[in-house]
Amino acid sequence: MENRTPVAPADARLLLDQADRLSRSAHNATRWPYITFILSLGVATSMGTLAMGLTTGNAFGLAYFGTLTATFALIMFFMISIRGRSAFSRGRRWTAYIAAWFVTYAAAISVVIWAHGSVLWSGITSALILLVTMACAAREARP
Amino acid sequence: MTAVEQHPRHRLDELLQNPVRFSIVAALDRASTLSFKEVRDAVEVTDSALSKQVSLLEGAGYLTVGKSFAGKMPRTSLTLTKQGRAAWKSHLATLREIAGLE
Repeated sequence: MENRTPVAPADARLLLDQADRLSRSAHNATRWPYITFILSLGVATSMGTLAMGLTTGNAFGLAYFGTLTATFALIMFFMISIRGRSAFSRGRRWTAYIAAWFVTYAAAISVVIWAHGSVLWSGITSALILLVTMACAAREARP
Repeated sequence: MTAVEQHPRHRLDELLQNPVRFSIVAALDRASTLSFKEVRDAVEVTDSALSKQVSLLEGAGYLTVGKSFAGKMPRTSLTLTKQGRAAWKSHLATLREIAGLE
């Protein structure tokens, strides 16, 4: 049998410590750009959709282009910061985070289109974006 | 005949008793998906040693290997499967039992 040696309690404790240390350091080396991105994306799109939902005319234009510019800048920053660490972005968990953000963002954009000016619906959907992205960031940032 | 209670060490996952394989799965435990390079750097082994152990873990269904290209550069990612996570949890639980932590 390969590598089959009796494991003493002290060895078991050492192995558990090693596993925890390795798991933590591998995750730490990867997760922070992802946490920063999902949190920033949530704040930018939440504020942006709230502003778009409650403004008209030039103010709406400013909110629209401001949100687009901020989102584009965030994506660029994210792409650069995860170079060499992009495997996590193809994982199931990250896909779920982005899907959750997208669902709430789509709801907020629907409010901008079909219920423009509604403080209640704009507030609810924009708050949802913030809530969902903060939950994703918190999940990823937990020790 | 009465059933004799076995020492918990008999319940340890044989595949995970190899130090390199143990470290590979430990590295993937929290992140779930990492690149080959990230795992190699965490485990501190050569590409060929890692590749050999990854094949064994993949064969056992403990992890999946994903291939993609960034331009002409191949990118390999390693993902811990449900089966791998279950085996890992059970292995750690047994180690805790041996260590007297449970």
